[in-house]
Amino acid sequence: MKCTKKILAVLASIGFVLMVAAPMWATQLKSPDTVKTALRLLVQVSNDFKRQITNRNFARVPHEYMEYTEAADALRMGIKDEPADFKARVETRLKAAVAAYQKISDMSAKATDPDPLMAEHAKAVTAMNAVFDLFPADMRPDPNLPPPGGRRGGRQ
Amino acid sequence: MTHSILSRRRLLLGSLALPFTISGCERRLTSEPQTVDLFIESDGDFLAFRPDELRCRTGATVRLTFHHSGKFLSALHNWVLVMPDQMEPVDKDAEKTDGEISPDDPRVIAWVPMCGKGETVTTQFIAPAPGDYPFFCSTPGHAVDMNGILHVTP
Repeated sequence: MKCTKKILAVLASIGFVLMVAAPMWATQLKSPDTVKTALRLLVQVSNDFKRQITNRNFARVPHEYMEYTEAADALRMGIKDEPADFKARVETRLKAAVAAYQKISDMSAKATDPDPLMAEHAKAVTAMNAVFDLFPADMRPDPNLPPPGGRRGGRQ
Repeated sequence: MTHSILSRRRLLLGSLALPFTISGCERRLTSEPQTVDLFIESDGDFLAFRPDELRCRTGATVRLTFHHSGKFLSALHNWVLVMPDQMEPVDKDAEKTDGEISPDDPRVIAWVPMCGKGETVTTQFIAPAPGDYPFFCSTPGHAVDMNGILHVTP
């Protein structure tokens, strides 16, 4: 009886350790540097979209969309060795984000007013944040941070 | 008597050595044309220069090499050095030409052409008068983040 209790206690301890440790293992990515870079690039290009719209430089918006798809491909490359279910979840949300930025690009062809594009941009940022939610908090980029290494020395 | 002879010999030797001493000093004082090699690159695909501060002496022949170290994005980058307080006006004008810099622009001291990821380009120029000179990437929208300063010392 005593022996059975001991075995149960040990099994319960192992189960508890596994339960606590499992999410930690889940957040350990195979290529964290590539993923982190890709996530920051998505934010960088999203900010470029905003800058071109604000400056009424609508002709540059399709180019920003092309870069957004390249940043999305960088993220796909970063997670290529992750479990299939995780990749599938990321892909679903990433496709939605890319589609949202494509809509802005399409709209920019005939745009004369930045406001409707900015409204779409806000929706696209929401879609992009849904992608970020799938990654550990310490990997998610802060959209308000300046680019790495950028001291903005020449800004007058 | 012996002391007097020694003094005279020293004086003679001293006067013979004087022209050599003066010419030696002159050679040291004359500033020889200096050549400086500077290297700068994009911070991977991010909108930043690495390093974002450069130094050289005035009058030096500067050989500057720029490398686009991006891997993922097709964004083009370049390096444009302008007169103080001229970054924003030159950048604004470059927006109209998709980032291309006019070779006749008197506000521009030196620049390298636009290049894609993995490419390396070089330019050569004479360092201007002492001061701080801004440099930036003239691809539309990049200069806000992608800029730095060349410190030219006396």
